Amino acid sequence: MSLLNYIVINIIGMLLRFLPIPSKTGLIRLGNPDRNSPVLLTCNYLLTVARVKRSLAGVNAFLLVANSKGINVWCAATGGLLTGHEVVSALKTTGIEQLVDHRDVILPQLAATGVETKMVKARSGWKISWGPVYARDIPAFLRSGCWKTPAMRQVEFPWEQRLEMAVVWAFPVSVIPAIIMAPFWIEAVPLLVSLVWALSLLIFMSFPIYSRWLSPKDKRVGLVFFDFGRGGMQLIFWGVAMIGLVTYSLIAGDYGWASIIRWAFISFVLVLIVSLDLTGSTPMYKSGLHEDRWLKISLDEAKCKGVGFCEQVCPKNCYEMAPDGHKVTLPRRDQCVQCGACIVQCPFDALYFKGTKGDIVSPEIIRKFRLNLMGKRLVRVKDLDSS
Amino acid sequence: MSAYVLMRILESAPSRYDRGIRILTLGKLDEAYGRLVSWVNNGQQVLDLGSGTGALALKAAQRGARVKGIDINPQMLAIAQKRAREASLEHNVGFCEMGVAELDGEKPESYDAVMSGLCFSELTEDELTYSLRQIKRILKPRGLLLVVDEVMPESIALTVLYWLIRLPLVVIAYFITQTTSHAVKDLPQKVKAAGLLVEKLRLNRMGNFLELVAVKPDQRIG
Repeated sequence: MSLLNYIVINIIGMLLRFLPIPSKTGLIRLGNPDRNSPVLLTCNYLLTVARVKRSLAGVNAFLLVANSKGINVWCAATGGLLTGHEVVSALKTTGIEQLVDHRDVILPQLAATGVETKMVKARSGWKISWGPVYARDIPAFLRSGCWKTPAMRQVEFPWEQRLEMAVVWAFPVSVIPAIIMAPFWIEAVPLLVSLVWALSLLIFMSFPIYSRWLSPKDKRVGLVFFDFGRGGMQLIFWGVAMIGLVTYSLIAGDYGWASIIRWAFISFVLVLIVSLDLTGSTPMYKSGLHEDRWLKISLDEAKCKGVGFCEQVCPKNCYEMAPDGHKVTLPRRDQCVQCGACIVQCPFDALYFKGTKGDIVSPEIIRKFRLNLMGKRLVRVKDLDSS
Repeated sequence: MSAYVLMRILESAPSRYDRGIRILTLGKLDEAYGRLVSWVNNGQQVLDLGSGTGALALKAAQRGARVKGIDINPQMLAIAQKRAREASLEHNVGFCEMGVAELDGEKPESYDAVMSGLCFSELTEDELTYSLRQIKRILKPRGLLLVVDEVMPESIALTVLYWLIRLPLVVIAYFITQTTSHAVKDLPQKVKAAGLLVEKLRLNRMGNFLELVAVKPDQRIG
């Protein structure tokens, strides 16, 4: 793939990040793979496939692109669109079984919320190893004989990703109102667009400064906007936007108090829109919309045999093996983002979620019933409208 | 991470799936399913691929066939099972969480008919080729493949008309039910390539809705 092509895909992917963009599924040969080359699998989100291919430049391997309906690995796996069935299907229908002598496939770690290793082994004979979270670490992972450092297992929110999320929000939030406003109030469009972009960049780029005060576990659900940081953050952003506006009107000279008040209101609404589900826009926290954010990961020590799959798949490094190596421990339980990967992967059902009232969400429920967009697990058939 | 998935696809709302499909197909799906199961007879072994909420499988079971419905979505299967119980058909129809790639576990020549209602269009190219090969293997000689699916119209004029009608339907169906559907390309050719004989082909006037009946040739004779 040419660099230009890669850049174009990245820009399109960034601007339209809210939409699934499917790429072709099937088998891709990277370099000159032979019968012993590694087999990797990923989702069919256009941006992901482009990035994985780029990260693997110079590596000889087979890449299977499974059908996740054009959605990225973490969301597709958590939402039930990248499960063991899609993996078995890619392994059996792409012809990879005729091309290699081994039966080991490397999956992105974040797929562990949806893909059950046991089921894939039973139905296809293939053994899954969990690769790193980010594609850029795959070459180092392969060189080390498939060994993951704790850093390779952890999700991060570095400035590149924050910039990306700022663009992801700013683009639709500026373009859609601009199109609606253009016929009525064309002269306001440039200011509106710059305000949206400035606020979005401000909110996401300054994330590390205020992230410690964000709490998706806060139960004071009123307006969804004020669910995190109890509205304080939004007011600070709004204050910054106001200072910017007043400065702008002083410099421009032709803006009176009426227009400042009008824009104060508009910028307040914009702050609310751009920070809508702020925690869910980061990989660091559970979405503020998801009920699962109140669940607590719990370990049944009697069942734990210390195989450590949980440690391998936890994107927040909550787990650590006990010194004797026979049990895991949960020293960083408070970091948990309730992704459920450890529960899905534990072969002894030693992990489960505990609700606020002490209720238990069993591994079976977590494996079988995925989250929908609003973070609801559809379980009870009797409650469903079966028309 | 939820923010990435604003546009969630049909499986998030299985209970609304049927309504969404009815909007997208302008209500003609029920009739098509009716015509399709008229090829199924009492006592036959029938496999329903991508059984979803069970619409097609239950229709075949009502005709006395013994039906196995497979789907990869547990929520859809739960609804299908509930419907089977409500219709007192649970002895004639069973549902199983299984994808088409797992058809290699089925016994050869064990089915009189394999049905697929809007399933092929959900598959990748590789999956479609693979399933057609498996279907030929598991069908008894003279066994039938029965398909209802959306296809792309062949003429350019119809394609333009198709998109004019389809676009608003897609938007409406998506907003009301988060359901969407796709079109499968060159299905009759693919069925023939898999070694099945196309016996009957019915396209609607728009040329976007296909009903296909194919038969597995009896190679024991001649």
